[in-house]
Amino acid sequence: MTLPFLIIIPLFGAFSMPIISLFGKKLKEYWALIISGATLGVAAKIFYTVWKTNEIILYTLGSESPIGKGVKFPIRIVWEVDLLGALLALTITFVGFLAVLYSLGYMKHDTGLEKYYTLILILELGMLGIVITGDIFNFYVFLEIMSIASYALVAFRNDTWEGIEAGIKYMFVGSVASSFILLGIALLYGQYGTLTMSYLSLKIAENPTIVAKVALAFFIGGLLFKSGAVPVHMWLADAHPAAPSSISAMLSGLVIKAGGVYAVARIVFSIFNPGLHAYLKAFNMPSINMEAVGWVIVFFACLTLLIGNAMAVVQTDMKRLFAFSSVGQIGYILLGIGIGTLAYGSRAGELALAGAIYHIVNHALIKALLFFVAGAVIHEVGTKNLNELSGLARKMPMTTLAFIIGAAAIIGLPPLNGFASKWIIYESSAMYNPILAAIAVVGTVFSLAAYTRVLFTFLGRESEKVKSAKEPEMSMLIPMLILVVAIVVMGLLPWQINDKIMLPTARMLEQLNGEYMVALLKFLGGA
Amino acid sequence: MGSDMGLIVKTMARATIPLIGIFGAYVVAHGHLTPGGGFQGGATIAGAGILFLIAFGLNEAKTRINKNLYSALEGVGGLVFLIAGMLGLGVAFFYNTLWHNGPIFNGEPGTLLSAGYLPIMNLAVGLKVYTGLVSAVFAMALFRRWRK
Repeated sequence: MTLPFLIIIPLFGAFSMPIISLFGKKLKEYWALIISGATLGVAAKIFYTVWKTNEIILYTLGSESPIGKGVKFPIRIVWEVDLLGALLALTITFVGFLAVLYSLGYMKHDTGLEKYYTLILILELGMLGIVITGDIFNFYVFLEIMSIASYALVAFRNDTWEGIEAGIKYMFVGSVASSFILLGIALLYGQYGTLTMSYLSLKIAENPTIVAKVALAFFIGGLLFKSGAVPVHMWLADAHPAAPSSISAMLSGLVIKAGGVYAVARIVFSIFNPGLHAYLKAFNMPSINMEAVGWVIVFFACLTLLIGNAMAVVQTDMKRLFAFSSVGQIGYILLGIGIGTLAYGSRAGELALAGAIYHIVNHALIKALLFFVAGAVIHEVGTKNLNELSGLARKMPMTTLAFIIGAAAIIGLPPLNGFASKWIIYESSAMYNPILAAIAVVGTVFSLAAYTRVLFTFLGRESEKVKSAKEPEMSMLIPMLILVVAIVVMGLLPWQINDKIMLPTARMLEQLNGEYMVALLKFLGGA
Repeated sequence: MGSDMGLIVKTMARATIPLIGIFGAYVVAHGHLTPGGGFQGGATIAGAGILFLIAFGLNEAKTRINKNLYSALEGVGGLVFLIAGMLGLGVAFFYNTLWHNGPIFNGEPGTLLSAGYLPIMNLAVGLKVYTGLVSAVFAMALFRRWRK
């Protein structure tokens, strides 16, 4: 069984980092690289296994079976990995590995690096835990591991007021969001007496009380905070630019996905399944109105993708612009999830979910690339103010190329990967409700305006500041080039990827036949 | 100079630090039998370390506390916990193989040498919490920039 090694390896790396760093100055960087590389290998193996067999892996901690001795219900912590979890684990380890590789050059002049690498491994560990867990309290524990590591990493450069202010703000907002989620978990546990997600979904379907609805509201509220949806996005626009660029890439590319939209999808589809409740409603039994939940998600999604992208247009700080663009892209993902909830069971719903999942992966790659570019510019020129950066293209051609690819992909130009996922989201929203598709397209127009500005800055006349700029060193260029290749290759095979990976993932998340629950119920039958 | 406290505090600290340490060690060692455990006991022992830092001052503490050693010991605590969790990996992660199959810590429930990996984990967590909290407070004491 390879699944526990997804947690064991980064945990081992993080705990051994203080000891390793005693033996040599360079050793800790290579140690972090080895550890994150090994984690990437494990995640690739798990993804391949789940994809090949198309079956959910259910792993029990501490015993062979999740069912308690002498009782008929699960009492142990389980890890339940479906295709969505495995796909996200692969994305997280891939971008995490590249971020560590990028840090070799980018963080060379900083001190306290053993803490940095420990925290980066713990951040990765927390996200991996979130995507593999099938126990809702275990989910909360990993969410807090991830959040606390990211608060500390945002404030890592503690010699500037910017980092500390953003870190404290992030910590306050994040703690409020976490307490919402904890309250939701406490309500569900008090009402149903179980923490296992798949068993909880059965219990809720048996007796959907008002407590379950309140808990769902707390979950959605807390997770919208964590994913940076619009009325509560203010922390994101401060925290992501203030962090070191390698961390910004992980925060924008991964943390708001794993701890935000992934968790929304998991809770909406695996705990409160729309299909199950529509079925109950058809027989006039008490049920939760999941359509209302879907509209709530769609409402915030539209707000997010309009305001996030529009705010990006007026920024003069490059990293802040990218951060607002992340807010906008989260809007698209939420729109996909919302339509997936509303049009559950139909072709439009399935496509919307596939588009959302596709966009999670694509945006992780693209935004990591863009923040790497921003980091390279800051490292070489020393400023991220767009007004002082014109004319970089002649001095840093490779970086500019990487930026052009990234910007084109995030806007959604055809031969690149952003096109496919955005197209699927437009198509499915047009199938469900054309007004939603129109709103999504308007968001993209803002996004186009924002990135065109940066592009003109890069290609414009040379300013004083960039006279002495040069290409960054290899350890920073290589991760960018790997991401460029990944974006182009994924862009050349959009429909193959969609049919082979994203649609099965969406089907497994939708669980038309209750696969997520059946994986647990198999143990009940045998006991 | 002058970061230490008066004679009365120092004398009292000399008398109480060993007692606090012993009580914390008791809480850690009986973690699987009595209320408390690794975290609570470790925090209690860290209380002794913090009392030492406050009573005798930063300069005295600097000569006695080796930051690198503490940070390495914190790592050791975590690693021991992880290895204890991995002992039963043949069945599952965190499978309590010591309790089910022995050879040690598989005595009668309620005695000190029972409960499988739990005493080991309590000791590891106690070590980690003690060293971690002491290093955190020590770092905060070193970070007082306003004193020049």
